[in-house]
Amino acid sequence: MTEATELAERAGDRDPRVGLRAVAALRRLLEQLEAVQVRSARNQGWSWQEIAAELGVSRQAVHKKHGRL
Amino acid sequence: MFERFTKDARAVVIGATACAERADSSTVTEEHLLLSLLDLGGSRTDFAFTALGVMDRRAALEASLADVRRRGGMTKADEAALAGLGIDVGAIVARVEETHGAGALAGDRKDRRWWSGHRSFTREAKSALEKSLRIALGRRDRTIGAEHILLALVSGRGVVAEVLAEHGVTYGALERAMFGGTDGGAARAG
Repeated sequence: MTEATELAERAGDRDPRVGLRAVAALRRLLEQLEAVQVRSARNQGWSWQEIAAELGVSRQAVHKKHGRL
Repeated sequence: MFERFTKDARAVVIGATACAERADSSTVTEEHLLLSLLDLGGSRTDFAFTALGVMDRRAALEASLADVRRRGGMTKADEAALAGLGIDVGAIVARVEETHGAGALAGDRKDRRWWSGHRSFTREAKSALEKSLRIALGRRDRTIGAEHILLALVSGRGVVAEVLAEHGVTYGALERAMFGGTDGGAARAG
């Protein structure tokens, strides 16, 4: 809690710790969001090829990452 | 490494797998290691949890962990950092759940097909176990016990460490409760 409060107070300044933390958190959030969206697309019958095209990655990459969803 | 594990430490690892199974999780996470530690009676860790008041607040602790999971693994500190960028994690979670159902961002899904029934440890959980070895070596303890696994969990930068810190469970507090000092001298007796 104290760390969170401290971070909130420092969010406005140029402390790199806050910015880096935000980037790391965003990356993890992004991974979760991607998993949700890929799962949803698969449930709606999208092919791996179609999903890969939307994500801007190769079909192999998306299948390797989410193939077990 | 595992040959150095005490009976308690082995029980924690086995118990973590059981926790994952009960939670219908396809992987064994740091959270399952913690839950397994909380279930382990009659150990140094049990004593420390009681001394730090964790046993009385176990429900609150588990609720915090569930909440973080539901928010895509975002801790309060993560959310504060993202708020600094103008990103409202709460709003994102609400939108996603509106469309994809409650708990959608929690990642692990009960409907996920598991291939062989074998549950693997996540990278974070594995590295916590590896770290327990380094902590035991650092303390010059000859075996790896449940207490070293717990210290490894709180010394990490993961969700479990942060949630424990929110509940007053830090490396220093645990070390004092389990070994009675911060100089590590007491550990040699074990």
